[in-house]
Amino acid sequence: MTAIETEAGTFQKGSAVGQSVPRKEDGRLVQGQGVFFDDVKRKDMGYLHYVRSPYAHATIESIDVSAALEMPGVYGTLTGDEVALLTDPFFQIAAPPGGHVKDYALAVGKVRYLGEPVVAVVAETRELARSAAEFVMVEYEPLDVLVDARAALAEGAPVLHEDCGGNLSYSGVWEWGDVDAAFAEADHIVSIGELHFDRFNSTPLECGGALVEYNRGTGQWTMYTNNQFPGFAAIMMGPAMRVGIDKLRIVTQDIGGGFGNKITTHPQLTVCCLLARKLKRAIQWTEYRTDFHQSMAHGNERWFQGTEVAVKADGTLLGFRTKAIDDAGAYLRYEPLGGVIWSQVAGGLYRWRNIRLEFTQAMTNKAPVSPNRGYSRMQQLWFTERVIDIVAHTLDFDPVEIRRLNFIKPEQMPYETANGCVYDSGDYPRALDMALELIGADEIEDRRAEAASRGKLLGLGIGSTLDSGTNNFAQSQLINPELQFSGNNEVATVKLDIFGEVVVTLGTTPQGQGHETTAAQVVADILHCDVDIINVRAGHDSYWNSHAGFSGTYASQFAVTGLSAVKGAADLLAADMVKLASMVFQCPEEAIELADGFARIRDNHEAALPFMALGAIPNANNAGFPDDPPTMNCRYVYRPAFEVPDKERKFGNLTLTYATQIHACIVEIDPETGVTEVVDYAAVDDCGVRINPQIVEGQVMGATAHAIGAALWESFVYDEDGNLLTPNFYDYHVPHVLDMPPLKTGAFESPSPFTPLGTKGMGEGGGGGIHCICAGIQDALRAAGGAIVTDSHNPYHRVWEMLSHPERSRETIEVTSR
Amino acid sequence: MSTTTSTTRTISVVINGTSYERDVPASLLLVHLLRDDLDLTGTHIGCDTGSCGACTVVLGGEAIKSCCMLAVQADGTSITTVEGLASDDGALTPLQQSFHDHHALQCGYCTPGMLMSATALLEQNPHPDEHEVKVALQGNICRCTGYWNIVEAVVAVGEGGAS
Amino acid sequence: MLLREVEYARPATVEEAIALLSEHDGARALAGGQTLVNVMKARAASPDVLVDLADLAELRTISFSADQSALEIGAMVTNTMVISSSEVEVARPILAEVAATIADVQIRNRGTVGGNVCVNDPTNHYPPLLSALGATFTIRSAAGERVVSAEEFFLGVYVTAVSEGELLTRISVPTRRPGTGDGMAGITLGAHGTYLACAAATVGPDGVRISIGCVAAVPVRATEMEERLADGDLSEAAVRAAAHGLGATLDPPSDVHANAEYRSHLAEVSAVRAVLQAAERAEG
Repeated sequence: MTAIETEAGTFQKGSAVGQSVPRKEDGRLVQGQGVFFDDVKRKDMGYLHYVRSPYAHATIESIDVSAALEMPGVYGTLTGDEVALLTDPFFQIAAPPGGHVKDYALAVGKVRYLGEPVVAVVAETRELARSAAEFVMVEYEPLDVLVDARAALAEGAPVLHEDCGGNLSYSGVWEWGDVDAAFAEADHIVSIGELHFDRFNSTPLECGGALVEYNRGTGQWTMYTNNQFPGFAAIMMGPAMRVGIDKLRIVTQDIGGGFGNKITTHPQLTVCCLLARKLKRAIQWTEYRTDFHQSMAHGNERWFQGTEVAVKADGTLLGFRTKAIDDAGAYLRYEPLGGVIWSQVAGGLYRWRNIRLEFTQAMTNKAPVSPNRGYSRMQQLWFTERVIDIVAHTLDFDPVEIRRLNFIKPEQMPYETANGCVYDSGDYPRALDMALELIGADEIEDRRAEAASRGKLLGLGIGSTLDSGTNNFAQSQLINPELQFSGNNEVATVKLDIFGEVVVTLGTTPQGQGHETTAAQVVADILHCDVDIINVRAGHDSYWNSHAGFSGTYASQFAVTGLSAVKGAADLLAADMVKLASMVFQCPEEAIELADGFARIRDNHEAALPFMALGAIPNANNAGFPDDPPTMNCRYVYRPAFEVPDKERKFGNLTLTYATQIHACIVEIDPETGVTEVVDYAAVDDCGVRINPQIVEGQVMGATAHAIGAALWESFVYDEDGNLLTPNFYDYHVPHVLDMPPLKTGAFESPSPFTPLGTKGMGEGGGGGIHCICAGIQDALRAAGGAIVTDSHNPYHRVWEMLSHPERSRETIEVTSR
Repeated sequence: MSTTTSTTRTISVVINGTSYERDVPASLLLVHLLRDDLDLTGTHIGCDTGSCGACTVVLGGEAIKSCCMLAVQADGTSITTVEGLASDDGALTPLQQSFHDHHALQCGYCTPGMLMSATALLEQNPHPDEHEVKVALQGNICRCTGYWNIVEAVVAVGEGGAS
Repeated sequence: MLLREVEYARPATVEEAIALLSEHDGARALAGGQTLVNVMKARAASPDVLVDLADLAELRTISFSADQSALEIGAMVTNTMVISSSEVEVARPILAEVAATIADVQIRNRGTVGGNVCVNDPTNHYPPLLSALGATFTIRSAAGERVVSAEEFFLGVYVTAVSEGELLTRISVPTRRPGTGDGMAGITLGAHGTYLACAAATVGPDGVRISIGCVAAVPVRATEMEERLADGDLSEAAVRAAAHGLGATLDPPSDVHANAEYRSHLAEVSAVRAVLQAAERAEG
């Protein structure tokens, strides 16, 4: 067992933590007074519009911007040739061959996906910028198009990046335990031909954008934007733009949803910066929906081919081997990190000890992928859940019992997995029981019969997932040993200002997660004061000195990284306040307590200093102290204890916490049409200590909605020419309110032993809804030919195909029994 | 008599009780008039196909999508945007308060549109049931909440249970 | 978003509107704008002149014809007006029922019946419904009025019998006679979403009329199925038997949501369901 110091238990809950304190953010947001990037205006700002590639793959023969520049009100343009002169390619995370990708802020020389920005045009109005863009003449020479990652490595496949010598971005073999021995020991070997996890993303309602100003005197840019990982954006942009990182001030306030999709906006921000400098005016860029769908941050599409599962006669799962093929899209903007992130949950919630996974990632003429809620783990968890249900279906095990049998047991926690990850805590059987009770699993056969009387097929599905949070960035070294990233960090400052205000700043970039509220709850309990007097500044500002390289809001970590930083800084401030009070009262610090908004002498509550007095002394009234009064301005960097994993064995702890979700649903299928409806839903979540249960439940609900959408309607579908067929909300149907099933939620807390507050990161949800809907469809189809669900995305037409030709999927499954 | 055509037009419109007179291009969308020209930035844009409802305002008592309407079409109308809901002293409407109480918003981007759709509903039907609320909000996409708390918040107002 | 420059006029009378539409090449009538404005946002079409019909109050009425045989719906009547109309409720409630499932409240508040039929998007609700109901369309020009049937009205996507210098002013729907029932069924992309396939049907003393949507540029009458049902047997078995093979006669487009084969199948299922619904109502 990897030894990790237990940090929990150092926090004393007061009256705020654990309560559903109504959110501080809401007041401005319900009055339309939030400030989103597009609400920021500057005098004489120029509106940016991109000329985008109409081809998925083509060389750029020529670009002529002269006609656009001649239009009155057009301020200027930027082309790829200029970008190639003014910047260096963005740093690549990949080792070769992927590391040879040259990725610029605009297309240079060729275009590699439809919608790729080719030229930027800036004009006096939004409408004019778009009209002028129509007058930019670009000549293209179309090339053969590659849309299927499975064909990417074949002889003769079109090559996107010649420098890479092919389309491979990353490949690696991940093997733990003794896989051959497991298969030798197995009573049954179940083979699954191909499983496919579909391409979609969470489509935040606000698309990308920024208002960017350049200060010519200092050479410093300010970006009012909605990037959700400023630490990463700045690391990408600084070297590319050949400037120090302090020249890049990134400011966010309100962000209209992110879900990972706003991590990799650095190319567009770079274009804005270059134009702000070139045109000597503020640049305003608003991305609209079609632009977003065509070019921004799709989720990882993944295939699992030739899967084999070793199963004992009693249903014990001994091991699996499979080949994963991942589609990175046209550029590696965050990839190939997806090539390692999955291994945080290599075996899901189960005691797989013997695993072999050959991972291959290829580049295709589709929008670049980047993190999307559940990033890369969701794909792996879907795989493990599909495997369980297919094994159960094929060998006639009960899907509930086979889960129970193979779940990691609560008494095994903390549990070291086959690849050295440490699951911190959890009680999967309890969560499963709770979900089954909420969904009414006892009465499922009655419901099935009732549905049958209405001509409907009904099925029950379970989806078990983990939300692994707080990355150890050293895992990046498992795909590229040369990288110099490891650990994790987040920063907070807490200060007491002159009039007794408590002011908190953070490096995070909340997009609806309620950081202002939960941070205030933690501080209020430490300072023993009311939540209302804690002012948590909204958003992120790189000039606040409360950010570090990993600052941002992504990867299910705020409740650990963000709030631990807040706790650390608040602890320091509390100590400062006690110390100052002891100086004023000339008593030992031990005699002082913070209570009811005062620092007072424990045994004499009359001797009490209000926060206002404590704040005023160091700031404005500090003469006459024999020793320096404490500053009342405290900064804390939270850094979880991580080691660099063993790169040879690909073994080590990759994430600090593992929240658990068990989802269960009931689906009804119209056998005449394939129309599938989720008619009941239950979600159980265990994310350790909940700072604010209502906010936690809100995240569970949101993740559920995303999963329902992805399971039934949401898909980025390309035709063979690389045209995106779902470029807007007409064809990319996201769930509307009438599409939502009734929902029951359940929760309990298995505190993390590894985090200062006992919290775990949560919010991504691991795609539980996708898993349980797939399982529910498979269960429903049992009575209509017994098709096997092999795709994560099951729109009506796919269900109809399974109804019409159940043998097609069944034939891809084989069992060899001893 | 023949009506003349022109690429711009002077329009008069009352927004949140204030009269505005503006020369606007015929091609200007109402949502851009509100956001860019009048700085009423509470009304949002979430799509380009009239699908998402983030731009919903109340026009003549009815919820409409301000991205599916030209500013010139609004000539002579009376409009309420999210900025027109709370009173000047900041007192929230029962609906706004209910959104806050029921955690009916996360990122807050869809919220103004949701509030305006629900406001129009409640004016026409002060006590809607759950299904009526869902029908009224069908044109508003939320990507954060899964809608459950939003529906609850609106139903609660109708039942007099904002808190 | 972000439209091209466009000329705009807001006539006060139908005559002025027709004059404007006649005088300007590339002029287009702007009704509720719930499709047209979105098309202009995509710059998929850019009319030179928009003739806004908003002030034409005479196009915004719902009334009965002099002999009470038809419901007369002005072209500028919104879906919301249809839903809440007492005339519609009495004379042809299917119109309100279907209108209530079009898109969403905001679009129903602005979107008009006339706009919907003039757009004639194959996935629109009214074209197959009005075709099944035997509606007629009144088109006015400087030369006068003409009245056409649904078969004559719907010519293609965005193409109808309304030609340059003409304006659709009124849609006339026969009032429901005793023993008549109407139905509409289809498969949508999510609740109230776009139709993947749909069918509308009316059954009554004059037999059965069935019109299929989403399978061609115009609504398709299922005449063979209508004939097979002419003997009046509208039992489920009879309707299913009558529909059998209907899908194979259709040649619908394929798209990301449904290929031609699946869409044909859905159309056949929709036809069965629409007729059964209509038959049930005819009895009740």
